[in-house]
Amino acid sequence: MKWNIQWTLNKRLAATALCLGFLALIAGNPHEGGRYEIDSRELALIVDKEIDHVGALELADWIIQNKADYRLIDLRSEKEFNEYNIPTSENTTLTALETYPILRNEKIVLYSDGGIHSAQAWFLLRAKGYKGVYILRGGLEEWKDQILFPRIAENATKEELAAFERIKEISKFFGGTPQTGSNEAKSDVSIAMPKLEMKTPAKQGTTARKKKKEGC
Amino acid sequence: MNGPFYKYGMFNEEISLIVAFVIGIGFGFFLERAGFGSGRKLAAQFYFTDMSVLKVMFSAIVTAMLGVFFLSWMGFLDLSLVYVNPTFLLPQIAGGLLLGIGFVIGGYCPGTSAVACSTGRIDAMVYIGGIFAGIFLFGFVFPLFKDFYYSTPMGSITLPQLFNISYGTLVFTVVLMAVGAFVMAEWGEKKMAQKKGAEL
Repeated sequence: MKWNIQWTLNKRLAATALCLGFLALIAGNPHEGGRYEIDSRELALIVDKEIDHVGALELADWIIQNKADYRLIDLRSEKEFNEYNIPTSENTTLTALETYPILRNEKIVLYSDGGIHSAQAWFLLRAKGYKGVYILRGGLEEWKDQILFPRIAENATKEELAAFERIKEISKFFGGTPQTGSNEAKSDVSIAMPKLEMKTPAKQGTTARKKKKEGC
Repeated sequence: MNGPFYKYGMFNEEISLIVAFVIGIGFGFFLERAGFGSGRKLAAQFYFTDMSVLKVMFSAIVTAMLGVFFLSWMGFLDLSLVYVNPTFLLPQIAGGLLLGIGFVIGGYCPGTSAVACSTGRIDAMVYIGGIFAGIFLFGFVFPLFKDFYYSTPMGSITLPQLFNISYGTLVFTVVLMAVGAFVMAEWGEKKMAQKKGAEL
Protein backbone atom coordinates (compact mmCIF):
# COMPACT_ATOMS: atom_id res chain seq x y z
CA MET A 1 0.00 0.00 0.00
CA LYS A 2 3.02 2.25 0.30
CA TRP A 3 3.04 3.19 -3.40
CA ASN A 4 -0.51 4.44 -3.16
CA ILE A 5 0.32 7.17 -0.65
CA GLN A 6 2.99 8.68 -2.86
CA TRP A 7 0.51 9.35 -5.65
CA THR A 8 -0.57 12.93 -6.13
CA LEU A 9 -4.26 13.80 -6.15
CA ASN A 10 -4.14 14.21 -9.92
CA LYS A 11 -2.75 10.76 -10.39
CA ARG A 12 -5.40 9.26 -8.14
CA LEU A 13 -8.16 11.03 -10.04
CA ALA A 14 -6.73 9.85 -13.34
CA ALA A 15 -6.57 6.30 -12.00
CA THR A 16 -10.20 6.52 -10.84
CA ALA A 17 -11.27 7.78 -14.24
CA LEU A 18 -9.39 4.95 -15.91
CA CYS A 19 -11.03 2.38 -13.65
CA LEU A 20 -14.49 3.81 -14.30
CA GLY A 21 -13.74 3.95 -18.01
CA PHE A 22 -12.72 0.30 -17.95
CA LEU A 23 -15.89 -0.56 -16.05
CA ALA A 24 -17.90 1.26 -18.71
CA LEU A 25 -16.21 -0.89 -21.32
CA ILE A 26 -17.59 -4.06 -19.76
CA ALA A 27 -20.79 -2.65 -18.25
CA GLY A 28 -22.86 -2.93 -21.38
CA ASN A 29 -25.11 -0.35 -22.96
CA PRO A 30 -26.70 2.44 -20.95
CA HIS A 31 -30.41 2.85 -20.54
CA GLU A 32 -31.77 4.46 -23.68
CA GLY A 33 -35.44 4.23 -23.03
CA GLY A 34 -37.73 1.64 -24.59
CA ARG A 35 -38.40 -0.31 -21.38
CA TYR A 36 -40.67 1.17 -18.79
CA GLU A 37 -42.50 0.26 -15.67
CA ILE A 38 -46.18 0.97 -15.36
CA ASP A 39 -48.45 1.46 -12.41
CA SER A 40 -51.30 -0.70 -13.68
CA ARG A 41 -53.63 0.25 -10.86
CA GLU A 42 -53.19 3.97 -11.49
CA LEU A 43 -53.79 3.51 -15.21
CA ALA A 44 -56.87 1.38 -14.60
CA LEU A 45 -58.27 4.04 -12.32
CA ILE A 46 -57.77 6.75 -14.91
CA VAL A 47 -59.44 4.65 -17.60
CA ASP A 48 -62.28 3.80 -15.25
CA LYS A 49 -63.03 7.40 -14.36
CA GLU A 50 -62.62 8.59 -17.94
CA ILE A 51 -60.50 11.53 -16.83
CA ASP A 52 -58.29 10.89 -19.81
CA HIS A 53 -61.03 11.85 -22.28
CA VAL A 54 -61.68 15.06 -24.10
CA GLY A 55 -65.07 15.47 -25.76
CA ALA A 56 -65.45 16.74 -29.32
CA LEU A 57 -67.28 19.88 -28.17
CA GLU A 58 -64.63 20.66 -25.60
CA LEU A 59 -61.88 20.30 -28.18
CA ALA A 60 -63.84 22.47 -30.64
CA ASP A 61 -64.03 25.17 -27.96
CA TRP A 62 -60.28 25.02 -27.43
CA ILE A 63 -59.60 25.41 -31.12
CA ILE A 64 -62.02 28.32 -31.47
CA GLN A 65 -60.43 30.04 -28.49
CA ASN A 66 -57.06 29.45 -30.15
CA LYS A 67 -55.72 27.75 -27.05
CA ALA A 68 -52.09 26.77 -27.40
CA ASP A 69 -51.46 24.81 -24.22
CA TYR A 70 -52.04 21.42 -25.79
CA ARG A 71 -50.93 19.47 -28.84
CA LEU A 72 -53.41 17.62 -30.99
CA ILE A 73 -52.01 14.51 -32.59
CA ASP A 74 -53.61 12.67 -35.49
CA LEU A 75 -52.61 9.02 -35.54
CA ARG A 76 -54.06 8.12 -38.92
CA SER A 77 -52.08 7.64 -42.11
CA GLU A 78 -50.61 10.62 -43.92
CA LYS A 79 -53.04 10.13 -46.80
CA GLU A 80 -56.07 10.25 -44.51
CA PHE A 81 -54.56 13.20 -42.69
CA ASN A 82 -54.18 15.11 -45.96
CA GLU A 83 -57.77 14.41 -46.92
CA TYR A 84 -59.16 15.80 -43.70
CA ASN A 85 -57.84 16.56 -40.26
CA ILE A 86 -59.04 18.47 -37.25
CA PRO A 87 -57.60 22.00 -37.35
CA THR A 88 -54.36 22.49 -35.36
CA SER A 89 -53.53 18.78 -35.49
CA GLU A 90 -50.16 17.23 -36.27
CA ASN A 91 -49.78 13.88 -38.00
CA THR A 92 -47.70 10.94 -36.83
CA THR A 93 -48.14 7.19 -36.65
CA LEU A 94 -48.16 4.87 -33.67
CA THR A 95 -44.65 3.59 -34.40
CA ALA A 96 -43.24 7.04 -35.15
CA LEU A 97 -44.71 8.32 -31.89
CA GLU A 98 -41.71 6.79 -30.13
CA THR A 99 -39.40 9.43 -31.57
CA TYR A 100 -41.95 12.17 -32.15
CA PRO A 101 -40.84 15.43 -30.50
CA ILE A 102 -43.32 15.77 -27.67
CA LEU A 103 -42.38 16.50 -24.09
CA ARG A 104 -43.50 14.65 -21.00
CA ASN A 105 -44.94 17.79 -19.46
CA GLU A 106 -47.03 18.72 -22.48
CA LYS A 107 -50.75 18.26 -22.72
CA ILE A 108 -51.32 15.84 -25.56
CA VAL A 109 -54.66 15.02 -27.18
CA LEU A 110 -54.70 11.94 -29.41
CA TYR A 111 -57.23 10.94 -32.02
CA SER A 112 -57.69 8.36 -34.73
CA ASP A 113 -60.72 7.18 -36.68
CA GLY A 114 -62.41 5.47 -33.80
CA GLY A 115 -60.97 5.12 -30.35
CA ILE A 116 -58.75 2.05 -30.55
CA HIS A 117 -55.56 3.43 -32.04
CA SER A 118 -55.55 6.49 -29.85
CA ALA A 119 -56.21 4.33 -26.79
CA GLN A 120 -53.21 2.18 -27.66
CA ALA A 121 -51.06 5.25 -28.17
CA TRP A 122 -52.37 6.64 -24.90
CA PHE A 123 -51.19 3.52 -23.12
CA LEU A 124 -47.76 3.64 -24.73
CA LEU A 125 -47.26 7.27 -23.79
CA ARG A 126 -48.53 6.80 -20.25
CA ALA A 127 -46.17 3.86 -19.81
CA LYS A 128 -43.31 6.08 -20.96
CA GLY A 129 -44.13 8.56 -18.23
CA TYR A 130 -46.07 11.16 -20.19
CA LYS A 131 -48.47 12.68 -17.71
CA GLY A 132 -50.91 14.80 -19.68
CA VAL A 133 -52.18 12.43 -22.35
CA TYR A 134 -55.83 12.58 -23.43
CA ILE A 135 -57.98 10.83 -26.00
CA LEU A 136 -60.57 12.50 -28.13
CA ARG A 137 -63.68 10.59 -27.09
CA GLY A 138 -65.01 8.58 -30.02
CA GLY A 139 -62.23 9.79 -32.30
CA LEU A 140 -62.88 11.36 -35.66
CA GLU A 141 -66.22 9.53 -35.95
CA GLU A 142 -67.62 11.44 -33.03
CA TRP A 143 -66.05 14.66 -34.27
CA LYS A 144 -68.02 14.19 -37.49
CA ASP A 145 -71.23 13.38 -35.64
CA GLN A 146 -71.03 16.17 -33.14
CA ILE A 147 -69.20 18.97 -34.90
CA LEU A 148 -69.19 18.59 -38.66
CA PHE A 149 -72.60 17.07 -39.26
CA PRO A 150 -74.62 17.55 -36.10
CA ARG A 151 -78.21 16.48 -36.27
CA ILE A 152 -81.29 17.23 -34.25
CA ALA A 153 -84.54 15.36 -34.13
CA GLU A 154 -87.65 17.14 -35.38
CA ASN A 155 -89.43 16.65 -32.10
CA ALA A 156 -86.65 18.28 -30.09
CA THR A 157 -87.50 20.28 -27.01
CA LYS A 158 -86.89 24.01 -26.71
CA GLU A 159 -83.76 23.53 -24.65
CA GLU A 160 -82.37 21.08 -27.15
CA LEU A 161 -83.04 23.53 -29.95
CA ALA A 162 -81.30 26.31 -28.09
CA ALA A 163 -78.28 24.11 -27.50
CA PHE A 164 -78.31 23.11 -31.15
CA GLU A 165 -78.09 26.73 -32.22
CA ARG A 166 -74.76 26.98 -30.46
CA ILE A 167 -73.55 23.74 -31.97
CA LYS A 168 -74.55 25.03 -35.39
CA GLU A 169 -72.29 28.01 -34.89
CA ILE A 170 -69.41 25.78 -33.90
CA SER A 171 -70.10 23.48 -36.81
CA LYS A 172 -70.04 26.37 -39.27
CA PHE A 173 -66.72 27.51 -37.84
CA PHE A 174 -65.25 24.17 -38.84
CA GLY A 175 -66.96 24.16 -42.23
CA GLY A 176 -69.50 21.54 -41.25
CA THR A 177 -73.09 21.14 -42.39
CA PRO A 178 -75.56 20.93 -39.52
CA GLN A 179 -78.74 19.08 -40.33
CA THR A 180 -82.15 19.29 -38.92
CA GLY A 181 -84.60 16.52 -38.68
CA SER A 182 -85.44 13.55 -40.73
CA ASN A 183 -83.70 10.22 -40.85
CA GLU A 184 -83.27 10.49 -44.61
CA ALA A 185 -80.43 12.91 -44.10
CA LYS A 186 -78.64 10.21 -42.16
CA SER A 187 -78.28 8.00 -45.19
CA ASP A 188 -77.21 10.88 -47.36
CA VAL A 189 -73.67 9.97 -48.30
CA SER A 190 -73.22 12.91 -50.62
CA ILE A 191 -72.44 15.24 -47.71
CA ALA A 192 -68.93 16.36 -48.41
CA MET A 193 -66.20 16.65 -45.83
CA PRO A 194 -65.14 20.23 -45.33
CA LYS A 195 -62.28 21.40 -47.50
CA LEU A 196 -58.92 21.65 -45.89
CA GLU A 197 -58.82 25.40 -46.45
CA MET A 198 -60.77 25.44 -43.23
CA LYS A 199 -57.45 24.82 -41.59
CA THR A 200 -56.55 28.49 -41.69
CA PRO A 201 -57.23 29.19 -38.04
CA ALA A 202 -55.28 26.04 -37.33
CA LYS A 203 -52.25 27.07 -39.33
CA GLN A 204 -51.94 30.20 -37.26
CA GLY A 205 -52.09 28.14 -34.12
CA THR A 206 -49.28 25.83 -35.14
CA THR A 207 -46.93 28.53 -36.29
CA ALA A 208 -47.60 30.58 -33.20
CA ARG A 209 -46.38 27.71 -31.08
CA LYS A 210 -42.66 28.18 -30.88
CA LYS A 211 -40.43 25.19 -31.10
CA LYS A 212 -38.35 24.87 -27.99
CA LYS A 213 -34.73 25.65 -28.60
CA GLU A 214 -32.24 23.33 -27.04
CA GLY A 215 -28.51 23.02 -26.81
CA CYS A 216 -25.88 25.67 -26.33
CA MET B 1 -36.64 9.47 -9.96
CA ASN B 2 -35.79 9.93 -13.59
CA GLY B 3 -33.84 12.39 -15.65
CA PRO B 4 -33.75 14.62 -17.56
CA PHE B 5 -35.94 16.24 -14.89
CA TYR B 6 -37.39 18.90 -17.15
CA LYS B 7 -38.47 16.48 -19.86
CA TYR B 8 -40.01 14.17 -17.31
CA GLY B 9 -42.12 17.11 -16.21
CA MET B 10 -40.62 17.42 -12.71
CA PHE B 11 -40.70 21.18 -13.04
CA ASN B 12 -42.07 23.72 -15.46
CA GLU B 13 -40.37 26.20 -17.73
CA GLU B 14 -40.18 28.95 -15.08
CA ILE B 15 -38.41 26.68 -12.59
CA SER B 16 -36.13 25.46 -15.36
CA LEU B 17 -34.99 29.05 -15.89
CA ILE B 18 -34.16 29.39 -12.19
CA VAL B 19 -32.26 26.10 -12.29
CA ALA B 20 -30.39 27.32 -15.37
CA PHE B 21 -29.51 30.52 -13.52
CA VAL B 22 -28.10 28.64 -10.52
CA ILE B 23 -26.11 26.25 -12.73
CA GLY B 24 -24.86 29.21 -14.77
CA ILE B 25 -23.59 30.98 -11.66
CA GLY B 26 -21.80 27.80 -10.59
CA PHE B 27 -20.31 27.34 -14.05
CA GLY B 28 -19.01 30.90 -14.15
CA PHE B 29 -17.65 30.68 -10.62
CA PHE B 30 -15.60 27.58 -11.32
CA LEU B 31 -14.34 28.91 -14.65
CA GLU B 32 -13.09 31.98 -12.82
CA ARG B 33 -11.54 29.90 -10.03
CA ALA B 34 -9.76 27.75 -12.60
CA GLY B 35 -8.09 30.94 -13.77
CA PHE B 36 -10.08 31.23 -16.98
CA GLY B 37 -10.91 34.86 -16.34
CA SER B 38 -7.50 35.81 -17.64
CA GLY B 39 -6.80 36.15 -21.34
CA ARG B 40 -3.08 35.60 -20.67
CA LYS B 41 -3.66 32.26 -19.03
CA LEU B 42 -6.03 31.17 -21.77
CA ALA B 43 -3.68 32.21 -24.56
CA ALA B 44 -0.74 30.51 -22.79
CA GLN B 45 -2.05 27.11 -23.88
CA PHE B 46 -1.40 27.99 -27.50
CA TYR B 47 2.27 28.57 -26.60
CA PHE B 48 2.32 25.31 -24.61
CA THR B 49 3.51 27.14 -21.48
CA ASP B 50 0.34 26.55 -19.43
CA MET B 51 -2.02 23.77 -20.41
CA SER B 52 -4.62 24.36 -17.66
CA VAL B 53 -7.41 24.98 -20.16
CA LEU B 54 -6.92 21.63 -21.81
CA LYS B 55 -6.67 19.90 -18.45
CA VAL B 56 -9.72 21.57 -16.92
CA MET B 57 -11.84 21.03 -20.00
CA PHE B 58 -10.83 17.41 -20.40
CA SER B 59 -11.46 16.78 -16.67
CA ALA B 60 -14.91 18.30 -17.02
CA ILE B 61 -15.67 16.23 -20.11
CA VAL B 62 -14.48 13.00 -18.50
CA THR B 63 -16.38 13.69 -15.26
CA ALA B 64 -19.60 14.54 -17.08
CA MET B 65 -19.23 11.63 -19.47
CA LEU B 66 -18.66 9.06 -16.72
CA GLY B 67 -21.52 10.56 -14.71
CA VAL B 68 -23.96 10.45 -17.60
CA PHE B 69 -22.90 6.96 -18.60
CA PHE B 70 -23.27 5.40 -15.16
CA LEU B 71 -26.42 7.33 -14.25
CA SER B 72 -28.11 6.13 -17.41
CA TRP B 73 -26.67 2.65 -16.96
CA MET B 74 -28.33 2.51 -13.55
CA GLY B 75 -31.56 3.75 -15.10
CA PHE B 76 -31.67 7.21 -13.56
CA LEU B 77 -31.23 9.02 -16.82
CA ASP B 78 -32.96 8.45 -20.14
CA LEU B 79 -30.20 9.03 -22.68
CA SER B 80 -32.66 9.07 -25.56
CA LEU B 81 -34.09 12.30 -24.16
CA VAL B 82 -30.78 14.11 -23.81
CA TYR B 83 -30.58 16.68 -26.56
CA VAL B 84 -27.90 16.09 -29.18
CA ASN B 85 -27.04 18.99 -31.44
CA PRO B 86 -27.55 18.07 -35.09
CA THR B 87 -24.34 17.80 -37.08
CA PHE B 88 -23.66 19.88 -40.18
CA LEU B 89 -20.13 18.71 -40.91
CA LEU B 90 -18.53 21.33 -43.17
CA PRO B 91 -20.12 24.46 -41.70
CA GLN B 92 -19.23 23.25 -38.21
CA ILE B 93 -15.60 22.64 -39.18
CA ALA B 94 -15.51 26.17 -40.62
CA GLY B 95 -17.18 27.55 -37.49
CA GLY B 96 -14.75 25.68 -35.25
CA LEU B 97 -11.78 27.14 -37.12
CA LEU B 98 -13.25 30.64 -36.84
CA LEU B 99 -13.79 30.20 -33.12
CA GLY B 100 -10.25 28.90 -32.70
CA ILE B 101 -8.77 31.84 -34.59
CA GLY B 102 -10.82 34.24 -32.47
CA PHE B 103 -9.66 32.40 -29.34
CA VAL B 104 -5.97 32.79 -30.25
CA ILE B 105 -6.32 36.43 -31.26
CA GLY B 106 -8.63 37.59 -28.46
CA GLY B 107 -7.51 35.32 -25.67
CA TYR B 108 -11.05 34.26 -24.77
CA CYS B 109 -13.80 31.96 -25.84
CA PRO B 110 -17.37 33.26 -25.54
CA GLY B 111 -17.97 31.74 -22.09
CA THR B 112 -14.69 32.84 -20.55
CA SER B 113 -15.08 36.36 -21.95
CA ALA B 114 -18.28 36.70 -19.90
CA VAL B 115 -16.43 35.43 -16.83
CA ALA B 116 -13.55 37.87 -17.39
CA CYS B 117 -16.03 40.67 -18.01
CA SER B 118 -17.59 40.12 -14.58
CA THR B 119 -14.21 40.66 -12.92
CA GLY B 120 -13.91 43.97 -14.74
CA ARG B 121 -11.38 43.19 -17.45
CA ILE B 122 -11.59 45.78 -20.19
CA ASP B 123 -10.19 43.50 -22.92
CA ALA B 124 -13.01 41.06 -22.19
CA MET B 125 -15.60 43.84 -22.49
CA VAL B 126 -14.22 44.78 -25.89
CA TYR B 127 -14.30 41.08 -26.79
CA ILE B 128 -17.98 40.83 -25.82
CA GLY B 129 -18.69 43.96 -27.84
CA GLY B 130 -17.08 42.14 -30.75
CA ILE B 131 -19.26 39.09 -30.19
CA PHE B 132 -22.44 41.17 -30.36
CA ALA B 133 -21.25 43.11 -33.40
CA GLY B 134 -20.46 39.78 -35.06
CA ILE B 135 -23.87 38.37 -34.22
CA PHE B 136 -25.64 41.37 -35.73
CA LEU B 137 -23.44 41.32 -38.81
CA PHE B 138 -24.05 37.60 -39.24
CA GLY B 139 -27.79 38.22 -38.98
CA PHE B 140 -27.61 40.67 -41.86
CA VAL B 141 -25.46 38.58 -44.17
CA PHE B 142 -27.00 35.23 -43.23
CA PRO B 143 -28.93 34.90 -46.53
CA LEU B 144 -25.56 34.79 -48.34
CA PHE B 145 -24.38 31.86 -46.22
CA LYS B 146 -27.67 30.06 -45.88
CA ASP B 147 -26.92 27.24 -48.32
CA PHE B 148 -23.55 26.57 -46.74
CA TYR B 149 -25.02 26.86 -43.23
CA TYR B 150 -27.38 23.95 -43.86
CA SER B 151 -25.02 21.88 -46.02
CA THR B 152 -23.70 18.38 -45.19
CA PRO B 153 -26.40 17.62 -42.60
CA MET B 154 -25.92 14.38 -40.67
CA GLY B 155 -28.73 14.70 -38.15
CA SER B 156 -28.36 14.21 -34.41
CA ILE B 157 -25.67 11.59 -34.72
CA THR B 158 -23.42 10.35 -31.91
CA LEU B 159 -19.96 8.78 -32.16
CA PRO B 160 -21.14 5.28 -31.08
CA GLN B 161 -23.71 5.40 -33.90
CA LEU B 162 -21.22 6.73 -36.43
CA PHE B 163 -18.49 4.18 -35.73
CA ASN B 164 -20.91 1.43 -34.75
CA ILE B 165 -19.21 0.81 -31.41
CA SER B 166 -20.68 0.45 -27.94
CA TYR B 167 -21.05 3.40 -25.60
CA GLY B 168 -18.65 1.74 -23.17
CA THR B 169 -15.91 1.48 -25.78
CA LEU B 170 -16.24 5.15 -26.57
CA VAL B 171 -16.21 6.11 -22.88
CA PHE B 172 -13.04 4.09 -22.31
CA THR B 173 -11.38 5.56 -25.42
CA VAL B 174 -12.14 9.13 -24.34
CA VAL B 175 -10.76 8.45 -20.83
CA LEU B 176 -7.58 7.06 -22.41
CA MET B 177 -7.35 10.13 -24.66
CA ALA B 178 -7.78 12.41 -21.67
CA VAL B 179 -5.12 10.69 -19.57
CA GLY B 180 -2.80 10.69 -22.59
CA ALA B 181 -3.44 14.40 -23.12
CA PHE B 182 -2.69 15.12 -19.43
CA VAL B 183 0.63 13.29 -19.62
CA MET B 184 1.54 15.07 -22.87
CA ALA B 185 0.50 18.44 -21.45
CA GLU B 186 2.61 18.07 -18.32
CA TRP B 187 5.56 16.92 -20.39
CA GLY B 188 5.10 19.89 -22.77
CA GLU B 189 4.88 22.36 -19.90
CA LYS B 190 8.12 21.02 -18.42
CA LYS B 191 9.89 21.22 -21.77
CA MET B 192 8.76 24.80 -22.33
CA ALA B 193 9.80 25.79 -18.82
CA GLN B 194 13.28 24.30 -19.44
CA LYS B 195 13.53 26.12 -22.76
CA LYS B 196 12.56 29.37 -21.08
CA GLY B 197 15.13 28.73 -18.33
CA ALA B 198 17.81 28.07 -20.95
CA GLU B 199 16.99 31.28 -22.79
CA LEU B 200 17.26 33.40 -19.64
